[in-house]
Amino acid sequence: METPKRPSSFAQYKTLLAKDLRQEFRTREMLVSMGVYALLVIVVFGVALSFARPGEEFLEVSAGLLWALIVFTSLLGLNRSFSHEIEEGCLEGLLLAPLDHGVVFLSKATSNMVFLLIVEAIAIPLYWLFFSSLAHPAETGWLMVAPILVGSVGIAGIGTLLSTITVNTRGKDVMLALLFVPIVFPLLYACVSATTAAIVGGDLMAESFMVSLALAAGYDVIMILASWVLYDFVVGA
Amino acid sequence: MKEKAREVKLPESGQWPDRIAPVVLGAGIVLSTLGFLLAFLWVGPVYGASVDGVELIGGSMVSQMLLISQKIFYFHMPVAIVSFIALAFAAYYAIRFLMTKEQRFDSCSQVAMEVALLFVICTMITGEMWTRFEWGVWWTWEPRLTTYLILMLIVIAYFILRNAVDEPERSATYSAVISIIALIDVPICFMVTRLIPSSIHPVVLREGGMTADMGICLAVCLLGLLCVGFALYRARFNQLRLSQRVEAMKQTLEEQQ
Repeated sequence: METPKRPSSFAQYKTLLAKDLRQEFRTREMLVSMGVYALLVIVVFGVALSFARPGEEFLEVSAGLLWALIVFTSLLGLNRSFSHEIEEGCLEGLLLAPLDHGVVFLSKATSNMVFLLIVEAIAIPLYWLFFSSLAHPAETGWLMVAPILVGSVGIAGIGTLLSTITVNTRGKDVMLALLFVPIVFPLLYACVSATTAAIVGGDLMAESFMVSLALAAGYDVIMILASWVLYDFVVGA
Repeated sequence: MKEKAREVKLPESGQWPDRIAPVVLGAGIVLSTLGFLLAFLWVGPVYGASVDGVELIGGSMVSQMLLISQKIFYFHMPVAIVSFIALAFAAYYAIRFLMTKEQRFDSCSQVAMEVALLFVICTMITGEMWTRFEWGVWWTWEPRLTTYLILMLIVIAYFILRNAVDEPERSATYSAVISIIALIDVPICFMVTRLIPSSIHPVVLREGGMTADMGICLAVCLLGLLCVGFALYRARFNQLRLSQRVEAMKQTLEEQQ
Protein backbone atom coordinates (compact mmCIF):
# COMPACT_ATOMS: atom_id res chain seq x y z
CA MET A 1 0.00 0.00 0.00
CA GLU A 2 1.51 3.25 -1.03
CA THR A 3 1.37 6.29 1.21
CA PRO A 4 -0.56 9.24 -0.22
CA LYS A 5 1.71 11.90 -1.69
CA ARG A 6 2.03 15.09 0.30
CA PRO A 7 0.61 18.03 -1.67
CA SER A 8 3.15 20.61 -2.78
CA SER A 9 3.29 24.03 -1.15
CA PHE A 10 1.93 25.57 -4.32
CA ALA A 11 -1.08 23.24 -4.27
CA GLN A 12 -1.70 24.18 -0.63
CA TYR A 13 -1.43 27.84 -1.52
CA LYS A 14 -3.92 27.45 -4.38
CA THR A 15 -6.38 25.59 -2.16
CA LEU A 16 -6.23 28.18 0.60
CA LEU A 17 -6.54 31.06 -1.83
CA ALA A 18 -9.48 29.38 -3.58
CA LYS A 19 -11.15 28.89 -0.20
CA ASP A 20 -10.85 32.60 0.64
CA LEU A 21 -12.04 33.74 -2.77
CA ARG A 22 -14.95 31.29 -2.85
CA GLN A 23 -16.08 32.34 0.59
CA GLU A 24 -15.94 35.99 -0.38
CA PHE A 25 -17.68 35.62 -3.73
CA ARG A 26 -20.49 33.66 -2.08
CA THR A 27 -21.13 36.11 0.74
CA ARG A 28 -19.72 39.29 -0.86
CA GLU A 29 -19.50 40.53 2.70
CA MET A 30 -16.13 42.25 2.52
CA LEU A 31 -16.33 43.59 -1.02
CA VAL A 32 -19.71 45.22 -0.45
CA SER A 33 -18.70 46.82 2.84
CA MET A 34 -15.38 48.05 1.45
CA GLY A 35 -17.01 49.39 -1.72
CA VAL A 36 -19.75 51.24 0.13
CA TYR A 37 -17.20 52.58 2.61
CA ALA A 38 -15.06 53.88 -0.26
CA LEU A 39 -18.10 55.63 -1.70
CA LEU A 40 -18.83 57.20 1.69
CA VAL A 41 -15.25 58.46 1.97
CA ILE A 42 -15.64 60.01 -1.49
CA VAL A 43 -18.81 61.75 -0.26
CA VAL A 44 -16.89 63.11 2.73
CA PHE A 45 -14.16 64.36 0.40
CA GLY A 46 -16.88 65.95 -1.71
CA VAL A 47 -18.08 67.90 1.31
CA ALA A 48 -14.52 68.78 2.31
CA LEU A 49 -13.74 70.07 -1.17
CA SER A 50 -17.09 71.72 -1.84
CA PHE A 51 -15.59 75.20 -1.55
CA ALA A 52 -12.36 74.39 -3.40
CA ARG A 53 -11.74 76.36 -6.56
CA PRO A 54 -11.43 74.27 -9.72
CA GLY A 55 -7.96 74.40 -11.21
CA GLU A 56 -4.64 72.73 -11.67
CA GLU A 57 -3.76 73.12 -7.97
CA PHE A 58 -6.27 70.42 -7.14
CA LEU A 59 -4.08 67.88 -8.98
CA GLU A 60 -1.34 68.27 -6.38
CA VAL A 61 -3.75 67.31 -3.60
CA SER A 62 -5.81 64.73 -5.41
CA ALA A 63 -3.25 61.92 -5.30
CA GLY A 64 -2.95 62.35 -1.54
CA LEU A 65 -6.72 62.22 -1.13
CA LEU A 66 -6.87 59.13 -3.31
CA TRP A 67 -4.35 57.41 -1.06
CA ALA A 68 -6.26 58.45 2.03
CA LEU A 69 -9.26 56.72 0.47
CA ILE A 70 -7.21 53.58 -0.22
CA VAL A 71 -5.73 53.47 3.29
CA PHE A 72 -9.08 53.81 5.05
CA THR A 73 -10.75 51.28 2.80
CA SER A 74 -7.94 48.77 3.18
CA LEU A 75 -8.04 49.17 6.97
CA LEU A 76 -11.68 48.13 6.89
CA GLY A 77 -10.93 45.12 4.72
CA LEU A 78 -7.92 43.99 6.74
CA ASN A 79 -9.93 44.15 9.94
CA ARG A 80 -12.53 41.80 8.59
CA SER A 81 -10.17 39.44 6.82
CA PHE A 82 -9.33 37.52 9.96
CA SER A 83 -12.45 38.00 12.04
CA HIS A 84 -14.48 35.25 10.36
CA GLU A 85 -11.53 32.90 10.50
CA ILE A 86 -11.61 33.31 14.27
CA GLU A 87 -15.40 33.18 14.59
CA GLU A 88 -15.78 29.84 12.85
CA GLY A 89 -12.63 28.37 14.40
CA CYS A 90 -11.21 28.08 10.91
CA LEU A 91 -7.78 29.32 11.88
CA GLU A 92 -7.33 26.56 14.43
CA GLY A 93 -8.18 24.03 11.77
CA LEU A 94 -5.62 25.56 9.45
CA LEU A 95 -2.95 25.45 12.12
CA LEU A 96 -3.70 21.82 12.87
CA ALA A 97 -3.21 20.88 9.23
CA PRO A 98 0.39 20.00 8.27
CA LEU A 99 0.95 23.30 6.51
CA ASP A 100 3.87 25.66 6.41
CA HIS A 101 2.71 28.87 8.08
CA GLY A 102 4.38 30.86 5.33
CA VAL A 103 1.83 29.40 2.92
CA VAL A 104 -1.00 30.63 5.13
CA PHE A 105 0.55 34.10 5.10
CA LEU A 106 1.02 34.17 1.33
CA SER A 107 -2.50 32.97 0.56
CA LYS A 108 -4.07 35.39 3.02
CA ALA A 109 -1.99 38.28 1.69
CA THR A 110 -2.92 37.39 -1.88
CA SER A 111 -6.62 37.27 -1.12
CA ASN A 112 -6.41 40.58 0.74
CA MET A 113 -4.62 42.08 -2.25
CA VAL A 114 -7.21 40.73 -4.69
CA PHE A 115 -10.06 42.26 -2.68
CA LEU A 116 -8.22 45.54 -2.35
CA LEU A 117 -7.54 45.67 -6.09
CA ILE A 118 -11.17 44.89 -6.92
CA VAL A 119 -12.37 47.68 -4.63
CA GLU A 120 -9.80 50.06 -6.09
CA ALA A 121 -10.92 49.18 -9.61
CA ILE A 122 -14.38 50.39 -8.61
CA ALA A 123 -13.44 53.27 -6.33
CA ILE A 124 -10.80 55.01 -8.43
CA PRO A 125 -13.01 55.53 -11.51
CA LEU A 126 -15.71 56.78 -9.14
CA TYR A 127 -13.22 59.15 -7.57
CA TRP A 128 -12.29 60.43 -11.02
CA LEU A 129 -15.95 60.75 -11.98
CA PHE A 130 -16.87 62.83 -8.93
CA PHE A 131 -13.86 65.13 -9.01
CA SER A 132 -13.19 65.44 -12.75
CA SER A 133 -14.99 68.78 -12.70
CA LEU A 134 -12.19 70.24 -10.56
CA ALA A 135 -9.24 69.44 -12.80
CA HIS A 136 -8.08 67.10 -15.54
CA PRO A 137 -5.04 64.89 -14.98
CA ALA A 138 -2.07 65.13 -17.32
CA GLU A 139 -1.58 62.70 -20.18
CA THR A 140 0.73 60.59 -18.05
CA GLY A 141 -2.11 60.04 -15.57
CA TRP A 142 -2.59 56.40 -16.53
CA LEU A 143 0.88 55.67 -15.14
CA MET A 144 -0.61 55.90 -11.65
CA VAL A 145 -1.63 52.28 -12.12
CA ALA A 146 1.97 51.34 -11.25
CA PRO A 147 2.15 53.00 -7.78
CA ILE A 148 -1.34 51.74 -7.01
CA LEU A 149 -0.31 48.16 -7.80
CA VAL A 150 2.93 48.43 -5.83
CA GLY A 151 1.13 50.12 -2.94
CA SER A 152 -1.60 47.49 -2.80
CA VAL A 153 0.96 44.69 -2.69
CA GLY A 154 2.72 46.35 0.24
CA ILE A 155 -0.48 47.17 2.10
CA ALA A 156 -1.74 43.61 1.73
CA GLY A 157 1.62 42.15 2.82
CA ILE A 158 2.29 44.08 5.99
CA GLY A 159 -1.44 44.47 6.66
CA THR A 160 -1.92 40.70 6.79
CA LEU A 161 0.76 40.37 9.45
CA LEU A 162 -0.67 43.23 11.49
CA SER A 163 -4.26 42.06 11.21
CA THR A 164 -3.22 38.61 12.40
CA ILE A 165 -1.69 40.29 15.43
CA THR A 166 -4.59 42.59 16.19
CA VAL A 167 -7.35 40.04 15.74
CA ASN A 168 -6.44 38.64 19.17
CA THR A 169 -6.29 41.97 20.97
CA ARG A 170 -8.85 44.01 22.81
CA GLY A 171 -10.25 46.84 20.69
CA LYS A 172 -8.86 45.31 17.54
CA ASP A 173 -10.14 47.89 15.04
CA VAL A 174 -8.34 50.76 16.72
CA MET A 175 -5.29 48.62 17.39
CA LEU A 176 -4.90 47.79 13.70
CA ALA A 177 -5.07 51.45 12.72
CA LEU A 178 -2.57 52.39 15.43
CA LEU A 179 -0.02 49.90 14.15
CA PHE A 180 -0.82 50.03 10.45
CA VAL A 181 -0.66 53.76 9.77
CA PRO A 182 2.83 54.49 11.17
CA ILE A 183 4.33 51.30 9.80
CA VAL A 184 2.94 51.78 6.32
CA PHE A 185 3.92 55.47 6.32
CA PRO A 186 7.04 55.17 4.12
CA LEU A 187 5.13 53.21 1.49
CA LEU A 188 2.31 55.71 1.59
CA TYR A 189 4.70 58.62 1.20
CA ALA A 190 6.44 57.05 -1.78
CA CYS A 191 3.17 56.08 -3.44
CA VAL A 192 1.62 59.51 -2.97
CA SER A 193 4.73 61.04 -4.48
CA ALA A 194 4.67 58.72 -7.49
CA THR A 195 0.93 59.15 -8.03
CA THR A 196 1.18 62.93 -7.78
CA ALA A 197 4.03 62.87 -10.28
CA ALA A 198 1.93 60.81 -12.69
CA ILE A 199 -1.16 62.99 -12.36
CA VAL A 200 0.59 66.35 -12.51
CA GLY A 201 3.07 65.37 -15.22
CA GLY A 202 5.75 67.68 -16.53
CA ASP A 203 9.08 68.24 -14.80
CA LEU A 204 7.95 66.83 -11.47
CA MET A 205 7.08 63.61 -13.26
CA ALA A 206 10.51 63.05 -14.75
CA GLU A 207 12.20 63.88 -11.48
CA SER A 208 10.43 61.82 -8.90
CA PHE A 209 8.25 59.14 -10.47
CA MET A 210 10.88 56.45 -10.89
CA VAL A 211 12.66 57.20 -7.60
CA SER A 212 9.41 57.00 -5.64
CA LEU A 213 8.30 53.87 -7.40
CA ALA A 214 11.65 52.16 -6.79
CA LEU A 215 11.53 53.09 -3.10
CA ALA A 216 7.97 51.81 -2.76
CA ALA A 217 8.98 48.54 -4.44
CA GLY A 218 11.97 48.25 -2.11
CA TYR A 219 9.70 48.73 0.89
CA ASP A 220 7.41 46.00 -0.46
CA VAL A 221 10.23 43.51 -0.86
CA ILE A 222 11.77 44.15 2.56
CA MET A 223 8.50 44.26 4.48
CA ILE A 224 6.98 41.21 2.81
CA LEU A 225 10.12 39.19 3.49
CA ALA A 226 10.12 40.34 7.11
CA SER A 227 6.41 39.57 7.52
CA TRP A 228 6.83 36.17 5.94
CA VAL A 229 9.59 35.26 8.38
CA LEU A 230 7.79 36.69 11.42
CA TYR A 231 4.40 35.25 10.52
CA ASP A 232 5.39 31.86 11.81
CA PHE A 233 5.75 33.27 15.34
CA VAL A 234 2.63 35.40 15.18
CA VAL A 235 0.14 32.85 13.94
CA GLY A 236 1.39 30.16 16.30
CA ALA A 237 1.27 32.37 19.40
CA MET B 1 23.24 30.12 47.40
CA LYS B 2 21.74 26.72 48.08
CA GLU B 3 18.21 28.08 48.00
CA LYS B 4 18.89 29.66 44.65
CA ALA B 5 20.11 26.40 43.22
CA ARG B 6 16.93 24.68 44.33
CA GLU B 7 14.59 27.20 42.72
CA VAL B 8 16.15 27.29 39.30
CA LYS B 9 12.98 28.35 37.59
CA LEU B 10 12.49 31.63 39.43
CA PRO B 11 13.21 34.74 37.36
CA GLU B 12 16.67 35.88 38.39
CA SER B 13 17.93 39.43 38.74
CA GLY B 14 20.95 41.29 40.01
CA GLN B 15 23.78 40.36 37.65
CA TRP B 16 27.06 42.22 37.46
CA PRO B 17 25.69 45.21 35.48
CA ASP B 18 23.50 46.09 38.45
CA ARG B 19 26.58 46.56 40.60
CA ILE B 20 28.12 49.09 38.23
CA ALA B 21 24.79 50.78 37.45
CA PRO B 22 24.92 53.31 40.37
CA VAL B 23 28.47 54.28 39.40
CA VAL B 24 27.42 54.68 35.77
CA LEU B 25 24.45 56.77 36.84
CA GLY B 26 26.76 59.05 38.81
CA ALA B 27 29.12 59.32 35.87
CA GLY B 28 26.18 60.05 33.58
CA ILE B 29 24.90 62.84 35.82
CA VAL B 30 28.34 64.41 36.11
CA LEU B 31 29.11 64.13 32.40
CA SER B 32 25.80 65.49 31.15
CA THR B 33 25.95 68.38 33.62
CA LEU B 34 29.50 69.05 32.46
CA GLY B 35 28.32 68.91 28.87
CA PHE B 36 25.53 71.36 29.68
CA LEU B 37 27.97 73.80 31.24
CA LEU B 38 30.47 73.35 28.39
CA ALA B 39 27.81 74.03 25.80
CA PHE B 40 26.95 77.39 27.31
CA LEU B 41 30.21 78.57 28.82
CA TRP B 42 32.97 77.17 26.69
CA VAL B 43 31.86 76.52 23.13
CA GLY B 44 31.48 79.70 21.12
CA PRO B 45 28.24 80.61 19.40
CA VAL B 46 27.84 79.12 15.95
CA TYR B 47 26.16 80.26 12.80
CA GLY B 48 22.81 78.59 12.65
CA ALA B 49 20.84 77.68 9.57
CA SER B 50 22.56 78.92 6.48
CA VAL B 51 19.99 79.57 3.80
CA ASP B 52 20.69 80.33 0.19
CA GLY B 53 20.26 84.10 0.34
CA VAL B 54 17.39 85.28 2.48
CA GLU B 55 14.47 82.92 2.56
CA LEU B 56 10.97 83.09 3.93
CA ILE B 57 10.42 80.15 6.24
CA GLY B 58 7.07 79.93 7.95
CA GLY B 59 6.38 83.65 7.88
CA SER B 60 9.74 85.00 8.99
CA MET B 61 12.81 85.95 6.99
CA VAL B 62 15.77 83.74 7.78
CA SER B 63 19.36 84.12 6.73
CA GLN B 64 22.65 83.37 8.42
CA MET B 65 22.60 84.48 11.99
CA LEU B 66 24.26 83.81 15.32
CA LEU B 67 22.01 81.55 17.29
CA ILE B 68 21.87 80.74 20.96
CA SER B 69 19.32 78.07 20.02
CA GLN B 70 22.13 76.11 18.41
CA LYS B 71 23.02 74.98 21.95
CA ILE B 72 20.04 72.63 21.77
CA PHE B 73 22.03 70.64 19.24
CA TYR B 74 24.41 69.38 21.97
CA PHE B 75 21.50 67.60 23.61
CA HIS B 76 19.26 66.95 20.69
CA MET B 77 21.70 64.82 18.75
CA PRO B 78 22.99 62.68 21.66
CA VAL B 79 19.44 62.06 22.87
CA ALA B 80 18.43 60.99 19.37
CA ILE B 81 21.42 58.65 19.13
CA VAL B 82 20.66 57.10 22.52
CA SER B 83 17.02 56.58 21.56
CA PHE B 84 18.05 54.79 18.40
CA ILE B 85 20.54 52.61 20.27
CA ALA B 86 17.80 51.69 22.74
CA LEU B 87 15.51 50.78 19.87
CA ALA B 88 18.22 48.61 18.32
CA PHE B 89 18.66 46.80 21.63
CA ALA B 90 14.91 46.31 21.90
CA ALA B 91 14.88 44.64 18.49
CA TYR B 92 17.96 42.57 19.33
CA TYR B 93 16.37 41.23 22.50
CA ALA B 94 13.13 40.69 20.58
CA ILE B 95 14.99 38.40 18.18
CA ARG B 96 16.60 36.61 21.13
CA PHE B 97 13.15 36.21 22.66
CA LEU B 98 11.64 34.75 19.50
CA MET B 99 14.53 32.28 19.32
CA THR B 100 14.47 31.15 22.95
CA LYS B 101 10.98 32.10 24.24
CA GLU B 102 12.53 33.12 27.55
CA GLN B 103 10.65 35.67 29.59
CA ARG B 104 13.93 37.36 30.49
CA PHE B 105 14.57 38.58 26.94
CA ASP B 106 11.03 39.84 26.64
CA SER B 107 11.57 41.96 29.74
CA CYS B 108 14.87 43.20 28.28
CA SER B 109 13.12 44.16 25.07
CA GLN B 110 10.27 45.87 26.89
CA VAL B 111 12.56 47.90 29.14
CA ALA B 112 14.79 48.91 26.21
CA MET B 113 11.64 50.08 24.44
CA GLU B 114 10.62 52.11 27.50
CA VAL B 115 14.02 53.81 27.52
CA ALA B 116 13.63 54.38 23.77
CA LEU B 117 10.22 56.01 24.34
CA LEU B 118 11.65 58.34 26.97
CA PHE B 119 14.52 59.41 24.76
CA VAL B 120 12.36 59.70 21.64
CA ILE B 121 10.06 62.07 23.51
CA CYS B 122 13.10 64.08 24.66
CA THR B 123 14.29 64.17 21.06
CA MET B 124 10.91 65.43 19.90
CA ILE B 125 10.85 68.17 22.56
CA THR B 126 14.38 69.40 21.84
CA GLY B 127 13.74 69.07 18.12
CA GLU B 128 10.61 71.18 18.41
CA MET B 129 12.58 73.88 20.21
CA TRP B 130 15.17 73.72 17.44
CA THR B 131 12.69 74.05 14.58
CA ARG B 132 10.82 76.81 16.35
CA PHE B 133 13.82 79.00 17.07
CA GLU B 134 15.97 78.20 14.09
CA TRP B 135 13.50 77.77 11.29
CA GLY B 136 10.73 79.84 12.79
CA VAL B 137 8.03 77.18 12.51
CA TRP B 138 6.69 74.64 14.98
CA TRP B 139 6.64 71.83 12.49
CA THR B 140 7.85 71.04 9.00
CA TRP B 141 7.68 67.71 7.26
CA GLU B 142 11.42 67.46 7.09
CA PRO B 143 12.89 63.91 6.85
CA ARG B 144 14.33 63.77 10.36
CA LEU B 145 11.25 65.23 12.01
CA THR B 146 8.92 62.97 10.07
CA THR B 147 11.00 59.91 10.87
CA TYR B 148 11.00 60.66 14.57
CA LEU B 149 7.28 61.35 14.60
CA ILE B 150 6.67 57.96 12.98
CA LEU B 151 9.11 56.31 15.36
CA MET B 152 7.32 57.85 18.33
CA LEU B 153 3.94 56.68 17.03
CA ILE B 154 5.21 53.12 16.55
CA VAL B 155 6.72 53.03 20.04
CA ILE B 156 3.48 54.31 21.55
CA ALA B 157 1.50 51.75 19.55
CA TYR B 158 3.90 49.08 20.86
CA PHE B 159 2.93 49.83 24.45
CA ILE B 160 -0.76 50.03 23.66
CA LEU B 161 -0.48 46.63 21.96
CA ARG B 162 1.36 45.20 24.96
CA ASN B 163 -1.50 46.20 27.21
CA ALA B 164 -4.22 45.08 24.82
CA VAL B 165 -3.28 41.39 24.91
CA ASP B 166 -4.18 39.40 27.99
CA GLU B 167 -2.02 36.28 27.66
CA PRO B 168 1.57 37.13 28.66
CA GLU B 169 3.16 34.71 26.19
CA ARG B 170 1.18 36.05 23.27
CA SER B 171 1.69 39.67 24.26
CA ALA B 172 5.45 39.04 24.42
CA THR B 173 5.54 37.47 20.95
CA TYR B 174 3.46 40.22 19.36
CA SER B 175 5.52 42.98 20.91
CA ALA B 176 8.73 41.27 19.80
CA VAL B 177 7.44 41.18 16.23
CA ILE B 178 6.44 44.83 16.36
CA SER B 179 9.80 45.95 17.74
CA ILE B 180 11.60 44.12 14.92
CA ILE B 181 9.27 45.66 12.33
CA ALA B 182 9.88 49.08 13.92
CA LEU B 183 13.62 48.75 13.56
CA ILE B 184 13.23 47.82 9.88
CA ASP B 185 10.63 50.49 9.22
CA VAL B 186 12.36 53.52 10.70
CA PRO B 187 15.46 53.59 8.44
CA ILE B 188 13.24 53.02 5.40
CA CYS B 189 11.09 55.90 6.54
CA PHE B 190 14.12 58.16 6.79
CA MET B 191 15.41 57.08 3.39
CA VAL B 192 12.06 57.49 1.65
CA THR B 193 11.37 60.95 3.02
CA ARG B 194 14.90 62.02 2.25
CA LEU B 195 15.41 60.60 -1.24
CA ILE B 196 12.14 61.73 -2.77
CA PRO B 197 12.66 65.24 -4.09
CA SER B 198 10.19 67.70 -2.70
CA SER B 199 9.65 70.99 -4.47
CA ILE B 200 7.56 72.57 -1.74
CA HIS B 201 9.90 73.09 1.20
CA PRO B 202 12.94 75.36 1.18
CA VAL B 203 16.19 73.47 1.34
CA VAL B 204 17.90 74.34 4.58
CA LEU B 205 21.60 73.71 4.39
CA ARG B 206 23.70 73.21 7.47
CA GLU B 207 27.25 74.37 7.81
CA GLY B 208 29.31 71.27 7.24
CA GLY B 209 31.78 70.04 9.83
CA MET B 210 32.27 70.81 13.47
CA THR B 211 35.05 72.63 15.22
CA ALA B 212 37.09 70.75 17.82
CA ASP B 213 35.38 72.34 20.81
CA MET B 214 31.94 71.50 19.43
CA GLY B 215 33.02 67.91 18.91
CA ILE B 216 34.36 67.58 22.46
CA CYS B 217 31.22 69.06 23.96
CA LEU B 218 29.06 66.77 21.86
CA ALA B 219 31.11 63.73 22.86
CA VAL B 220 30.82 64.60 26.56
CA CYS B 221 27.06 64.99 26.28
CA LEU B 222 26.71 61.79 24.30
CA LEU B 223 28.75 59.80 26.78
CA GLY B 224 26.82 61.26 29.72
CA LEU B 225 23.43 60.52 28.20
CA LEU B 226 24.50 57.01 27.21
CA CYS B 227 25.41 56.40 30.85
CA VAL B 228 22.08 57.80 32.01
CA GLY B 229 20.25 55.62 29.52
CA PHE B 230 22.12 52.52 30.65
CA ALA B 231 21.50 53.24 34.32
CA LEU B 232 17.79 53.84 33.70
CA TYR B 233 17.62 50.59 31.74
CA ARG B 234 19.24 48.60 34.53
CA ALA B 235 17.15 50.19 37.27
CA ARG B 236 13.88 49.51 35.50
CA PHE B 237 14.97 46.04 34.43
CA ASN B 238 15.93 45.15 37.97
CA GLN B 239 12.60 46.39 39.29
CA LEU B 240 10.65 44.48 36.64
CA ARG B 241 12.58 41.27 37.24
CA LEU B 242 12.13 41.53 41.00
CA SER B 243 8.39 41.96 40.63
CA GLN B 244 8.29 38.95 38.30
CA ARG B 245 10.30 37.03 40.87
CA VAL B 246 7.83 37.91 43.60
CA GLU B 247 4.96 36.77 41.38
CA ALA B 248 6.73 33.48 40.63
CA MET B 249 7.43 32.94 44.34
CA LYS B 250 3.79 33.56 45.21
CA GLN B 251 2.74 30.99 42.64
CA THR B 252 5.16 28.36 43.90
CA LEU B 253 3.97 28.97 47.46
CA GLU B 254 0.37 28.55 46.39
CA GLU B 255 1.21 25.35 44.60
CA GLN B 256 3.00 23.97 47.63
CA GLN B 257 0.07 24.59 49.94
